[in-house]
Amino acid sequence: MKKRKLLMFVLMAGLIIALTVSSAFAEEFSVLGRPLKIFGFATQEAAFGLENKYDSENGLHSALMNLFVEGEYQITKDLKFYGSGMLTVDWAYQLNANRDSWNDRLFPKSRDNLNVDDKYWQLLKEARLTWSPGDFMFRAGKQIVSWGELLAFRIMDQINPLDQRRGFSDIEFETTIIPIWLLRADYNPKIKLSWLQDLGFEFVYNPNADFIPNQDLKSGNADGGIWAPNVPISGAHLATTYADIRTPERWKEGNEFGLRVKANMLGAMTTLNFFYGRDNSPVALFAPPYMSPVPPNIFASDGKVLLHPFQEGKYPLLKFVGATIAKEITPLSAVSFLGGVAPVVYLEALYAFDSTFAFSNPLSGGVIQRFGKSDDFRTGMELAWKFKIPALNPRAYFSFTGEFFYRRIMNYPSFEEISGLKTNNYQTFLSVSTSYFHNKLNPSLTWIHDINSNSDYYIPKLVYDLDYHWHFTLGAQFFNGTKKGQLFQMFDDKNEIFFKVAYKWG
Amino acid sequence: MKKAKVFVMCLIVFSIPLVMKIQVLRGAEKEYKFTVEEFLKAKADFDDPRPVLKDMSFKKMMPPEVYGKLIYDVEEMKKLWAECIGFKSPDEVGKIAPEIKPGKYSYMDKGKYPGLKELMIPAHYEMFNPGKSPHAGNFPEIEVVPTRQYYWSTPIAKATKENMGRTKLDSEGYINNDTYVAGYPFPRPSGGFKGQQIMYNWEKRYFSGENFYMVQRLLGFTKGLGVDFDGGIYWLQIRLHGRAMFEPYGWYDKRAQDQKEATGVAVAYFAPRDSFGNAFNIVYYLDRDRFDNWLLYINSLRRVRKMTATDCQDAVGGQDVIYEDRDGFSQKLSPKRYPYKFEVIAEREYLVPAPTWDGSLYMTSPSKGLELRNIQFERRPVYVVQLTQQDPNYVYSKRIIYFDKETFNLLYIENYDQKKRLYRNLLMIPCFNPEMGLLLFFDYIMRDFLDLHSGRGRGYTLPAPWVTRDHIDMSGIVKMGK
Repeated sequence: MKKRKLLMFVLMAGLIIALTVSSAFAEEFSVLGRPLKIFGFATQEAAFGLENKYDSENGLHSALMNLFVEGEYQITKDLKFYGSGMLTVDWAYQLNANRDSWNDRLFPKSRDNLNVDDKYWQLLKEARLTWSPGDFMFRAGKQIVSWGELLAFRIMDQINPLDQRRGFSDIEFETTIIPIWLLRADYNPKIKLSWLQDLGFEFVYNPNADFIPNQDLKSGNADGGIWAPNVPISGAHLATTYADIRTPERWKEGNEFGLRVKANMLGAMTTLNFFYGRDNSPVALFAPPYMSPVPPNIFASDGKVLLHPFQEGKYPLLKFVGATIAKEITPLSAVSFLGGVAPVVYLEALYAFDSTFAFSNPLSGGVIQRFGKSDDFRTGMELAWKFKIPALNPRAYFSFTGEFFYRRIMNYPSFEEISGLKTNNYQTFLSVSTSYFHNKLNPSLTWIHDINSNSDYYIPKLVYDLDYHWHFTLGAQFFNGTKKGQLFQMFDDKNEIFFKVAYKWG
Repeated sequence: MKKAKVFVMCLIVFSIPLVMKIQVLRGAEKEYKFTVEEFLKAKADFDDPRPVLKDMSFKKMMPPEVYGKLIYDVEEMKKLWAECIGFKSPDEVGKIAPEIKPGKYSYMDKGKYPGLKELMIPAHYEMFNPGKSPHAGNFPEIEVVPTRQYYWSTPIAKATKENMGRTKLDSEGYINNDTYVAGYPFPRPSGGFKGQQIMYNWEKRYFSGENFYMVQRLLGFTKGLGVDFDGGIYWLQIRLHGRAMFEPYGWYDKRAQDQKEATGVAVAYFAPRDSFGNAFNIVYYLDRDRFDNWLLYINSLRRVRKMTATDCQDAVGGQDVIYEDRDGFSQKLSPKRYPYKFEVIAEREYLVPAPTWDGSLYMTSPSKGLELRNIQFERRPVYVVQLTQQDPNYVYSKRIIYFDKETFNLLYIENYDQKKRLYRNLLMIPCFNPEMGLLLFFDYIMRDFLDLHSGRGRGYTLPAPWVTRDHIDMSGIVKMGK
């Protein structure tokens, strides 16, 4: 097995190196008389932790490298193949190998999980064939199908799993969405109605050729690395979870179906969405012995006990209907001193039936749990706007994206609790950015606020685009929260500053 | 096993409409086009003087039956167009600095021929120098060619002639689109609203034809003349109103008529890497108070997103233009939204860059100064229109536009910021196909005088009746996108 992984690693690295050093590495060239486009990028990031706690590393705590290659080959007028692959390595495991604090806090034990992404589905991102005869489009293969309208909060966008093992704000989009094996069929009939510009039907089928779930943050430094959440337990640290999660059997179980109707009408973009499938995150219950130390690492380096949770769980059914709408608010475009740009409002709402949750008995300290069901309503609104502040930037606009997210557990248990959720749950997102010097210097600030836990997450960032090849980013991530053990508070030891350099080809 | 059978069944079910569809597609019009790689093989970005319009002539690139429908008798076109506008350009020029005769001139001849300064647009006179920082696109040598009569194709000229006098302006000088049918609406601009009439001739332009397919390279240059942007697009466009060249004539279809749609475009980026797979479509409306419909397929999101067409004053990524600078000037003229005062500040001959007929115009590489070479100049009768912005919140306070008086094509534009400083300019050098009577997009130079940056767009445009609504709608951009 190890040989196979090594072989894949070498092949991937070899392919990337061969392509990047080739003089023929242009954005488009001809193969068998048909156009082949190849692009890629390499990024190297260095992130420095600012806290010196058991669940963090003061100093270099992450050195992520991404090598990404993508290509599109137009086989015939209506048939094309798109493929992409990526190699991700966190060199912090090599660079910190001799650092006492790193080793004492058991970070090296998370190496298998976070040092090199060497699973086939991590190396092979997308591989899909698209056939688009006339009013139809068929796409088969490992791919991303993106539903919804909001950029920050994923409401309708439930088909592809996410990779969040390395925190919430990853460096490139390609590193966070996990393509999976899907069949997609689109039909766009010719419309004769003058008020209806476009109409489309999109059908998605997941045969569960390979079950790839969300890659969530893991507990315990030995598994989750520097991103292991700091769950407050008196006299102890939460360590690696031993979980027995039942996954749907390939092909036989976990088939998913999605149908979306899209219409561009009356100046608005609307969709209706239906989905029947599996949740990409498991629901797990504590199982005997619930929480326990496990030799040989009974104690952490700061003397506290390392408590390991034991869990059993499953990937429950997810069934929902939903709708989205996107429309300009045209009256605001008349406000010329703000730049005359009409904001666009994006709305989406989802109603999930009989969703499964872990209901916990609060008298047991949350250890006694059962599977419970409730309908689940999620909705959100985004306002995307650009406006002028001449005093701060006389030549370019400020881009503003604000989002509000609301989730209601329709049948919240009267006595029991659902970890991390209340009956009503609220979050907000705000991002502001602009550009200077002919779009070369791009500062931005992103802020996510969880209203229920009163916790915050900030990302200030400065990107310098030297040219279309070289890009440099200086940024930071800050977390804070007032309620112990709730959402972003659990990461307030993870504050960091980071620097990233990216080189892009093509 | 059972699920595998379901999977196979799904595939079969998918196939049924396909088989049906293929039957329909057999009758579809053939899409003739070319890739950017083929274009670059025919003419590289730098140091390549090959006459691409001969090597990749329209006759070679288009099926004979399509090409045959697009060419007309040249003398008939000349005659018809002169009847429309009332003159031929060779008769209108030669009065200013008559000592400047056809021939080759170097920037070193400026002292010897002071008439060049009088005859050239001041910015062009400045560009008539060796390539040097901070801007690309200087020309150290020019060839002055005799003034030629330019003309639009027979159907455009016929539509212009037939509808002469029909298009009306309202009391403020804004067009009443219900009165416009086809052709150039004001072939003989005159009267108190002459400036608006010239602008509406540009708005209704047949530049590049009605349906076309274009490959365009986009290059950006730093003040040190290094390349800092290298991208490109495939561009498909359909004129949805006032059609004269291709069937259907007039309105493209009932929807276009009901919605008063002007033009539809679909654009897909093939480079740079971050833009690869982005695609957008825009339907432009005639109604000046109605915002255009803009959908963007975002490559990183794999999602179509509705955008606002009012976001039109920020620089387009990597380039020295805003969205309303498409083709030099594409802003909707409105008495409410960023209105202008219109003035024709000059009507005279200038010695301006001539459209290339053979495509031998080229740019030297950055190490050689990014100079334009094989550039021809021609005395042309020119309208100079000044648009003074009445709203101080617009990005530009003033635009000065030089239009060819014979073709109504935009030659050159200067845009000034609200502090009255020259902010950006754009020099358009199209190509001319004499058999078709068409001016088409070929090359342009854009400059930013505040951020000291410049850019170049170069491309090859093919008239393409095969471009339909299917190409420019939502499904079209999903297919074009990543």
